[in-house]
Amino acid sequence: MSDAQKTVITLICERAVEVNVDGGGACPDVPGMKVIKFPCSGMIQPLMIEAALKNGAEGVVVCGCQIGDCYYREGNRMIRERLLGDRPPTMKKGTDRRRILALWLARPQKDRFISESKEFIAKLGSLPAPEAK
Amino acid sequence: MQKIVDNHPLKAFNSLTLMLENITNKVMTSKYNPFYYHGALPQYYLWVLYLSGLLLFAYYIPTIDNAYFSKNLVNAWTSVDYITKSLPFGGVIRGIHRYAGDAMVITIFLHAIRVWFTDRYRQYRWLQWVSGIILAIFVLFIGQTGYYLVWDERSLLLTRMTAGAFEAIPFIGSGLKTWFLNGDQITNLTLSNFLFIHIGLSFFLLFGLWVHYLRMTRPVMTPPPAVNYILTAFVLICVFLFPINSGQMADLNTQPNAFEIDWFFLFPYALLSQMPVGAYWAVMVLGTVAITALPWIMIPKQPAIETAEVVLNKCTGCSLCYKDCPYQAIEMVPAPAGSRFKLLATVKDFRCSGCGVCVGACAFDAIDLPDLPDAEVNAKIKALLEAKG
Repeated sequence: MSDAQKTVITLICERAVEVNVDGGGACPDVPGMKVIKFPCSGMIQPLMIEAALKNGAEGVVVCGCQIGDCYYREGNRMIRERLLGDRPPTMKKGTDRRRILALWLARPQKDRFISESKEFIAKLGSLPAPEAK
Repeated sequence: MQKIVDNHPLKAFNSLTLMLENITNKVMTSKYNPFYYHGALPQYYLWVLYLSGLLLFAYYIPTIDNAYFSKNLVNAWTSVDYITKSLPFGGVIRGIHRYAGDAMVITIFLHAIRVWFTDRYRQYRWLQWVSGIILAIFVLFIGQTGYYLVWDERSLLLTRMTAGAFEAIPFIGSGLKTWFLNGDQITNLTLSNFLFIHIGLSFFLLFGLWVHYLRMTRPVMTPPPAVNYILTAFVLICVFLFPINSGQMADLNTQPNAFEIDWFFLFPYALLSQMPVGAYWAVMVLGTVAITALPWIMIPKQPAIETAEVVLNKCTGCSLCYKDCPYQAIEMVPAPAGSRFKLLATVKDFRCSGCGVCVGACAFDAIDLPDLPDAEVNAKIKALLEAKG
């Protein structure tokens, strides 16, 4: 938040917590956040997270429905296991995991999404700058 | 293309379900939230019913008179009486069998309501919905035959009502009645037929469940042990608080006309006693057809599903999408001649939900949702990052 130039990318399931998004993909509730919606969080590839970080995102928020409840049965569990490295394809080893936040929030939990992601962004500010790639 | 995420007719109920589950999540964490095992709960009760039923079966005698025992009257009612009163823990087993049945109906109802409220019954899920309705009808009928088996006055009345209702069906009615009573009237053979229906059809449930699970990868069939203990505790509490007792022994020469009703299994009889037989069958058939048709009538114009598409020249045949697809919509077929790889993923469009889990599983960008290809996602990520920086 300290640096207005930095952007946090949110990859989110369209059935999970309801996040306001304006035309440009920005979330007005959380400054500096850009949102991309997916039909299911299971569609999010580790590659996409890596691409976002590589292209200069300060952090990535991955958000799906509450674990145990997925409209498509298992999507959120799959991406969770991929993030944890339990299910292929996994993240590259060099990925800075401190810059990834996974949230599992149901439709009505908007306040929690905002507070958690603001906290995450504040924490990102204190991390050392990512090495130039 | 307009997706039905937030504007399906039961939107309010969906939010209600999610709120409720949010509360249970806080109490018991998502790992033990019984709502997340709603389909596995009736399945657990089915095992309880099989086991307790096996124990009851060992002592149950399916006759209505003492054809083979001339000294004392031994029939279905007295054998049930013996199980309940003389056999150690017999009454408990009988109670478990009864209340687990009731609990199964309740959990099936909750399961159906939840998938309906959360909009998870349509399109690629139609097979689960329809087979679920058929399973539920069979569960009800099996439960009702259980009420005939104890052979008290209620059983006699229910048997007569059922036979009468069957007889009223045109063309096949008299045949159905003969099948049901195992003859033209109530005899010893009637009860052995009831026992056969009760046990035989309950094994049919396993076949039905197989169909119910067919298109699902890793169906959730077993709740965690902690949830099982709670489910068992519910049944046991009922067993000890409200012990089961039979009514008066049935006497074929009497005309019992009132009974205590078990609303979980016997509600059709409440209906049957209130209206003419023709109207009863009309209500039953139309009601069943209406519920079965819900996936097609609830949302008249359902947008077509954008099914996943394999990028043929990128697929390496690694099978990751095939393993992760939650609807068994991906099949690995031998790769065409000249390919560097052995296998090739193909999508069965009629099973695909368009969820994109296969996209997440693919490390080679070889499978795409047509309305959101991953190249587009990556381009969007770049654009969003460049817009400000």
